[in-house]
Amino acid sequence: MSLAIAGMGWVTPLGSGVDSVWERLLHGHEASPTTISEKFSDRAYNVFRVPEATMEGFGHPRLRRASVISRFAAAAGLDALRAADVKLDSQTAERTALIFAISNGGVIYTKRFYRDVVDAGAQSASPLLFPETVFNAPASHLAAILGITGATYTLVGDGSVGLLAITMAEDLMLNEAIDHCLIVGTEEVDWLLCDAYRRWRLLRSAPPIEPFGQRRGMILSEGAGAVLLARKGHFRIESAHPGGNFTKRVEAEEILERIVRDLAESNIDIVISSANGTFVDQAEYTALERVVPNAVVYTAKPALGESIGAAGLWQIIVAAQALRSAELPPVLHADSAVSLRLPNARMPIPEARRAIVLSCGLNQQAAGLRLAIE
Amino acid sequence: MGQFSGVNGRQATTRVAVVAAGVVSPLGFGMRETLDSLRQPRDCVTPVARFSVAQCRCKTAGQVSDDRLLSGRGGSPRSRRLHRASHMMIEALKEVLTHEPQCKTELTVIGTTSGGMSYGEDYYRTLRQAGDLRRAPTWISNYPAQKPVIDAQESFGISSPCQVIANACASGTNAIGHAFECVRSGRYQCVLAGGYDALSEMVFVGFDSLQASTPEKCRPFDRHRTGMVLGEGAAMLALENLESANGRGAPILAEIIGYGISTDNFHITQPNPSGIGPRQAMERALANAKASAKEVDYINAHGTATVFNDAAEGKAISTLFNGVPVSSTKSMMGHSLGAAGAIEAIVCLLALQHQFLPSNINFRESDDDLDLNIVANEARPAPVRTVLSNSFGFGGTNASILMRKFEA
Repeated sequence: MSLAIAGMGWVTPLGSGVDSVWERLLHGHEASPTTISEKFSDRAYNVFRVPEATMEGFGHPRLRRASVISRFAAAAGLDALRAADVKLDSQTAERTALIFAISNGGVIYTKRFYRDVVDAGAQSASPLLFPETVFNAPASHLAAILGITGATYTLVGDGSVGLLAITMAEDLMLNEAIDHCLIVGTEEVDWLLCDAYRRWRLLRSAPPIEPFGQRRGMILSEGAGAVLLARKGHFRIESAHPGGNFTKRVEAEEILERIVRDLAESNIDIVISSANGTFVDQAEYTALERVVPNAVVYTAKPALGESIGAAGLWQIIVAAQALRSAELPPVLHADSAVSLRLPNARMPIPEARRAIVLSCGLNQQAAGLRLAIE
Repeated sequence: MGQFSGVNGRQATTRVAVVAAGVVSPLGFGMRETLDSLRQPRDCVTPVARFSVAQCRCKTAGQVSDDRLLSGRGGSPRSRRLHRASHMMIEALKEVLTHEPQCKTELTVIGTTSGGMSYGEDYYRTLRQAGDLRRAPTWISNYPAQKPVIDAQESFGISSPCQVIANACASGTNAIGHAFECVRSGRYQCVLAGGYDALSEMVFVGFDSLQASTPEKCRPFDRHRTGMVLGEGAAMLALENLESANGRGAPILAEIIGYGISTDNFHITQPNPSGIGPRQAMERALANAKASAKEVDYINAHGTATVFNDAAEGKAISTLFNGVPVSSTKSMMGHSLGAAGAIEAIVCLLALQHQFLPSNINFRESDDDLDLNIVANEARPAPVRTVLSNSFGFGGTNASILMRKFEA
């Protein structure tokens, strides 16, 4: 089954709006790091946050107690609908499915809720915070804002969850009663997440992210990406590959190679990689070098950071924008010795018609898809 | 939801068989123990010992015995690192594959609400109290929600992609429903589906803070119901294209014939009092199955025993069905959140296979506001051909599945 992208929305550390963020990437801009700390620890971490100004003026009564993850998601989701010129009423909302892709979820409120329990006991637990800790809180807020009364799903996984959400959308849109599927990937950053990834030896204490380099680690970021899928449109998701799971990091390469090989049955011009300065890079490097050595490879993570649950949707937006504008931004901080075709400056790709979006998650999942422009 | 179409736009006609199932819950390990507990019936709710509940109103839950759960894990370092939830998933999948080793799954769809949450709690508490963090990498890497699913698959050499649905308490039913649609569409031949959740302090305290959980017995649909008790467990079903299952001589335990999903957008923790969300989910499941309400012989209700949930569900059931026997088996084992829909699908499967109505224990007095035919306190034999299972969750997410006794 082939689906089309009808609209996209983007909230990132480089601001919001698909064209605006894309323009900044083309100019080689990189998000500014913010240092976050915790009172009870002397460790501090650098993250790429969504600038406060980005979300100014965005509000909804339903979101007044919600965490930023829900605000990012709502802003991106509404932008995607606007871009597609789709206005939901009670009838069209019933024919629209909503899928959220999330990895860590509402970690800020979850931590705050449990902190009160640890510090002062169960009697201090907040009944206002608890509902916002559930994974599907952001989805329920956006469903309520849009009036969606049918299928709403929250998928949880690692960095590949955004692409797995596309495969689920394919399944849902086999149902002719659904006209659109809005897919939103979203994540928020917190000190606790940074500390966890650092202890897992995946985080770097300060930028830059150096893709395909020495595995010095990633920088976490936050935001949301949304794509509205329809049956017809300019950009076609020709194939969504559900990938699979790798049990050890060294096995990631094998599954990625299988995904790329399956997707490369058509001629591939560009690959939007998930390289983020961790073990992922080597696995992707090997798979790409073996299967599509001539494709131009781009990763936005040095510029935008690793947004985990939102990352897959961000990659799809990047792929669509690259095909639409027929150019790629420079890959920042890449090792010059890398033999892959990485653009080191803004690169025209006038003949590009097909892109692979490849995602290797940090917790054993991998997936991919092939996007084409008509 | 309208008619489901096949991959090539053809009308879907594929029938979906349940060819194997596995379960671990407070009712027992495996289908046989679960059946025995349902028939007796047993109250499997016990005092919580895993963490302090001294400051909570509710002090009980349905719990899976660690003595049994972890006794078979062996001495391998990998096994010792895994979260309890992984061990529950491994038990459930082991039973599926024991009964149907030829099951070649192409996709696994699993529901959960909190993944390996207790490892997250261990990590945060230790950090906060400047404790020994040597186990932190284990806690962190085993915390994600997809990990128990991948662990279970890995234990049996399965590497199919997995979709982990976190639709709060509807997750397990959503997972089975979505898997059903994946097979019925013709896109997949065989899909594993189910749910899991392990008891955690944070979630326990959370429901207690909402005063949704009760210090008393869990009495779904009772006039004097005072709330839920939590539970835990895991359950899995292998769904397969009926033709393919028949072709290879696989046992057919039952069919899944319909799935309905709705979102009611009323409030993040409370259902619309009109019952519109549950009603739409049930109506859509019936329409999806091309079945009428009259065909349903038993409803396994969501039935958490909170005042508002039971009222909304009860209103929806009495609007759609006329005197169909209803029970909430959460009265026996607590509410296992993301696992609940999957465990209750197993309960329905057993009801179909063994022709009985599972009971709603601790029931004392009917609620005058609810016009329901409750299967009170005792399981009873009955002809059961078609059953409906409901699950509703935070965020206004509602799901229902219809299952039918297999008739060749």
